[in-house]
Amino acid sequence: MKDFMHFNAYSVDEAVALLSRYGGNAGIIAGGTDLLGKMKDRILPSYPEALINIKTIPGLDQIENKEGMISIGALVTLSRVAEHPVIRKEFTALAEAASRTASPHLRNMGTLAGNICQDIRCWYYRAPQNRFSCLRKGGGRCYAIKGDNRYHSIFGGSVKAGCFAVHPSDTAPALIALNARIITSRRSISAETFFNVGVTHTTALSNDEIVTAIQIPTSAQETRSAFLKFALRKSIDFPIVNCAASITQKNSMVMHARICLNAVSVVPRRAEKAEEALINRTIDETTADEAAVAAVADAKPMEGNAYMVPITRTLVRRAILACREIHGG
Amino acid sequence: MSRKENIINIKVNEKWCEFSLDRDITSNMTLSFLLREKLGLTGLKVSCDEGACGACTVLMDGKAVLSCLTLAVQAHGHEIITIEGLAENDPVVKAFSEQCEPGYGTALQCGFCTPGFVMSTKALLNENPKPSLSEVKEALSGHICRCGCYAGIAKAVLHAGEKLEAGGKKS
Repeated sequence: MKDFMHFNAYSVDEAVALLSRYGGNAGIIAGGTDLLGKMKDRILPSYPEALINIKTIPGLDQIENKEGMISIGALVTLSRVAEHPVIRKEFTALAEAASRTASPHLRNMGTLAGNICQDIRCWYYRAPQNRFSCLRKGGGRCYAIKGDNRYHSIFGGSVKAGCFAVHPSDTAPALIALNARIITSRRSISAETFFNVGVTHTTALSNDEIVTAIQIPTSAQETRSAFLKFALRKSIDFPIVNCAASITQKNSMVMHARICLNAVSVVPRRAEKAEEALINRTIDETTADEAAVAAVADAKPMEGNAYMVPITRTLVRRAILACREIHGG
Repeated sequence: MSRKENIINIKVNEKWCEFSLDRDITSNMTLSFLLREKLGLTGLKVSCDEGACGACTVLMDGKAVLSCLTLAVQAHGHEIITIEGLAENDPVVKAFSEQCEPGYGTALQCGFCTPGFVMSTKALLNENPKPSLSEVKEALSGHICRCGCYAGIAKAVLHAGEKLEAGGKKS
């Protein structure tokens, strides 16, 4: 790795001040598992002048079970999220998503906040030494359109850039299904609007803004959530498709449903048509099937990734069926 | 605002080591490089260098972490244990070296991945001395053995757990 300045920040304000000082040429490091890989391979045309370590900021490593919500600090690791008894019981989709991310080592190191801030895994974008100067690096085209796009978007490219790289996070769809909010150094953003694709960015964060916590509202007692992932390997692998669902039922009728897919589009994608198909109905094989078909009705696969459509449909169906039983019932 | 520490203290295998930033170590140095090239602890291996193989696993404050994705400067104040820090008669080391069982085979052939597997096994057994086979598989799922000794490795871990239990009873 090329050299860089290394700073330990002792407060959020200090981290933000350092980010402003470097004006976009500094990176935040917590787990570092995504960032250091990128830096070692020199995938980007620019290289950070400084890394700001936020592991030294006190208080950001707490999981607080507050009135009406749970708050997960930016330094809480994925293994702690996966093992936390309240998250497992009440925010099941998130605990399952965290436990299916990467490997035990990477979950000991990587944080939930880092998992939603991670960069895309498109193999053209990630090729060492900035071999493909693609749209996401300020270049002229997306190499996946005519190239090998077997792991790319089946729901079209990003509007501004025409890039077909998918968002690789496992926890992101769970957070969106659970209606989480991302708390940053300056505002609170819904998880759904947090993901925002553009040249060199995958989130709505500004250059001098950091995630400080993730808050999830406690849902109704009748709500049940689930997360499912399809990947080629069980461990150390990114999803081909994943799906999270959070469904509230009363008297066996669906009152409210949030279903979110990821790794199939440029940002995590709510399956709104599938949600609508479930409202006021009873979850069974037939309704789950209908909703799953609705979820992929808009799919526009590329040359090499049509196989992802039936996988997506199956995951939606299974995620809905996994929510069928009612908590404690 | 004191942000750039110039003295880095890391406890490596029970001994505190002091490093001076820029003279001994640089910001961009990984923990794996520091341990291997500066301290001569070459038991851990750097294979993929991007967190996908587990060969560089060490214990940091008792947890299995990847030293290739840890910056040396960020190990400041932490306790690292490498395979060199284990006793020669450590039950895990013994179980791995003795493993040879019809139907399961040995726990290693070339041995390149073994230090990583052993360190993850230490972390697992410290928390869960009697793991089930599926717990063993899950705990070691961040490792790759290109010789394909997985069945033997899993058996060795279970045997190590038994050795620990037997050792505990004796004392």
